[in-house]
Amino acid sequence: MSSSDSNSSSVDDPNPNPKPLDNQLETLNLEQGSDSIIIQNDDDEEGRQQDQGSSLNGSLNVNSDNHEQDDRIGLVRNVVWRRTNSEMEVDVNGPSSPSSSGYAGERGSSGVSEDDEIQEVAKDSALHGVFDSQAAWLPGKRHVDEVFSVNMKRKREKQAIIISQSLNSFDLVPSIAITEDDASISWRKRKKHFFILSHSGKPIYSRYGDEHKLAGFSATLQAIISFVENGGDRVKLVRAGKHQVVFLVKGPIYLVCISCTEEPYESLRGQLELIYGQMILILTKSVNRCFEKNPKFDMTPLLGGTDVVFSSLIHSFSWNPATFLHAYTCLPLAYGTRQAAGAILHDVADSGVLFAILMCKHKVVSLVGAQKASLHPDDMLLLSNFIMSSESFRQVKLTFIRLLSFHSFLSLLVPLFITIESLLVMGGSIALKSALPHLSPKRTSESFSPICLPRYNPMAFLYAYVHYLDVDTYLMLLTTSSDAFYHLKDCRIRIEMVLLKSNVLSEVQRSMLDGEMHVEDLPGDPLSRFGSASHLGEHQEPTDSPGRFREPFAGIGGPAGLWHFIYRSIYLEQYVSSEFSAPINSPQQQKRLYRAYQKIYASMHDNGNGPHKTQFRRDENYVLLCWVTPDFELYAAFDPLADKGLAIKTCNRVCQWVKDVENEIFLLGASPFSW
Amino acid sequence: MPSRRRALLKVIILGDSGVGKTSLMNQYPLNLAVISLVLILYVNKKFSNQYKATIGADFLTKEVQFEDRLFTLQIWDTAGQERFQSLGVAFYRGADCCVLVYDVNSVKSFDNLNNWREEFLIQASPSDPENFPFVVLGNKVDVDGGNSRVVSEKKARAWCASKGNIPYFETSAKEGVNVEEAFQCIAKNALTSEEEEEIYLPDTIDVGSSSQHRSTGCEC
Repeated sequence: MSSSDSNSSSVDDPNPNPKPLDNQLETLNLEQGSDSIIIQNDDDEEGRQQDQGSSLNGSLNVNSDNHEQDDRIGLVRNVVWRRTNSEMEVDVNGPSSPSSSGYAGERGSSGVSEDDEIQEVAKDSALHGVFDSQAAWLPGKRHVDEVFSVNMKRKREKQAIIISQSLNSFDLVPSIAITEDDASISWRKRKKHFFILSHSGKPIYSRYGDEHKLAGFSATLQAIISFVENGGDRVKLVRAGKHQVVFLVKGPIYLVCISCTEEPYESLRGQLELIYGQMILILTKSVNRCFEKNPKFDMTPLLGGTDVVFSSLIHSFSWNPATFLHAYTCLPLAYGTRQAAGAILHDVADSGVLFAILMCKHKVVSLVGAQKASLHPDDMLLLSNFIMSSESFRQVKLTFIRLLSFHSFLSLLVPLFITIESLLVMGGSIALKSALPHLSPKRTSESFSPICLPRYNPMAFLYAYVHYLDVDTYLMLLTTSSDAFYHLKDCRIRIEMVLLKSNVLSEVQRSMLDGEMHVEDLPGDPLSRFGSASHLGEHQEPTDSPGRFREPFAGIGGPAGLWHFIYRSIYLEQYVSSEFSAPINSPQQQKRLYRAYQKIYASMHDNGNGPHKTQFRRDENYVLLCWVTPDFELYAAFDPLADKGLAIKTCNRVCQWVKDVENEIFLLGASPFSW
Repeated sequence: MPSRRRALLKVIILGDSGVGKTSLMNQYPLNLAVISLVLILYVNKKFSNQYKATIGADFLTKEVQFEDRLFTLQIWDTAGQERFQSLGVAFYRGADCCVLVYDVNSVKSFDNLNNWREEFLIQASPSDPENFPFVVLGNKVDVDGGNSRVVSEKKARAWCASKGNIPYFETSAKEGVNVEEAFQCIAKNALTSEEEEEIYLPDTIDVGSSSQHRSTGCEC
């Protein structure tokens, strides 16, 4: 487990008291609503347990009858680690010895010293820039990049050792792609698993490993869920040592997350909700009818080819604040520029387009909805993830093929995928290319695809016309009419012309280079502005006297040790996040901060203890300051040695700063949310 | 992706305890991922009396090739049947095939096949119970050189014929007689019952307020 999150104010102790001397009686803590239910494993069925050597109990026991295996696995583990350190999600636990149980996590205290060692190495390599999460992240399933999976069978172990030794000596990373399954050590070491399965226990999706090979595992999950349901109850969370198993039941679809990342339950559950939403976006909730008609229904073919969409979404759980803030973010643009883009989108929205959205990567340039139609930020997140992760929307030839496999079920009857090279069709795109010669020469394409917005209407499809204007910027026109392709194409041509004329696209490019707000640019002492808005700290005890107020630019970050902030406007459902700067440079530092924000967000919105208005939290990594008002939420990270009073003052200045530039960083007015 | 997609079949193995179900499954020297779950729940004091229950089930997967298709059999084995009822419908839901196992050396285990079959049909309530694919396995034919056998093959086949020509195999999990064939048959049986792939066709949003948004019925 990473050493990063050792915050003292964390939630429950994940280790319930194991009963000594009775190794069959470990306890699980099963939280069901407000009731805490203890699941115990006892030796009622000792015969079976001995046979199978496996039991799902507090520590997810594993066989350890074979000590010489441990050494070998130690070797093996090194290699596995070496290969997978680029993945950010690999557990660095002590060795799990082989067992036949489904999911093995920790092995008790004996693994602790091992942990430390490995972490040292991990940190080392991180410092040397061995990995970079953005660069190392590859779309698609992770099992492909595994060196090998170690089968529990001893026969194979010998082979594995040979491989691992040769790897150690040559430091090579061969691309032997062997599929993981639940017997693979590498699979067990994954820090965060996601599973989708049907109510009959058939696997639908697994983040790691081959779904078919995990059929037994998903059956186990179904049995657990169904068992609790039979008692008229619902299983929400099982804690097993440092692992949390989070369950989400959506009719005939079961979603499960198994994680040892110490993220709060609420966050993990929110992530499962988003994964479900992504599935609905691709298929609509009509899949439920298939299960009603036929419980045997196997959903995997319908999701064929969409692995990359889910893995991209799961990846965004560790970098995109939209996944827990339920807000979207805008690309900073001059007010006039955004207005110009909004005006032309408005024009087409009046002609039968339900939503017109112009985005650059995951940031909104402008968006317009038809009257009374409102777009939920989660839908935008899922839609843009779907578009961006599917290479098919970018390239002409791929589009056709891949979309057919995506939606082969639909293309049979509704052959809507019309993909035409814009070069052939329209002078506009030629003009685009000559106007922006530095853009990728990749030919842009247009696609027409059925999608469902789960928050708008989970039962039915809309049709999305998608067109990339340049490498990162894309236009989405959503309609209810399945034969609107040519109309939307005309709309796009008009929009593209206007955007070119008004230089919106080049402004977008420039903004992408400039990035978001930089903490170093935080304007100076705003004392003169006091009184113009409510200010954090007015009700705080005066921990500092005005005379001591100073600007300790420590050489890194912004004033008063400000490292980073996120500001979320509640009314606009938008957020702005400052650009990462020193010392939050490396991807894993950013991910750690992201997780810290996620945790503090959950604690601020915890119904049990909250709602809180402010929170000041100091640990060895940061000072986190959180301020929630009816209008906005501010999350700020400071140097761990930052002065409390100064930090509060700085937060006030950040809020003022955001207000001063809100015309540029937010999409104001004409928002579909205000209908 | 192979040209024909892999199919996953849920197979449930039922039969009296001691007939050798588990050894039947474990016999495969293949790359089996044996997952067993023995989860015994005791709920805290508040509920403990009425809630105390036991589930026990083994799950494993086995890949079988039949003709040009690869099947993954998701095999659900029962354990401690008398307590196992607690899983009920959830256990049987969505089964593609049911394997009934008896011990040829035990009349009682043979007589109980009827109960197991009916229990399954009630719990799983398949859409076409008459044609639901069952397979019957007479196990332990090798015990004592066959001298202790009490259920004749003829009798077993007669029962199978009376229940809609259930395929019948005699197996010895110990020796592996016919086991491979039996699993091939399971895949085949489940395959024949596989319904024609239906076209998945959700609705299109109908924005009722203005007719121009109406779905134009292209879905037909």
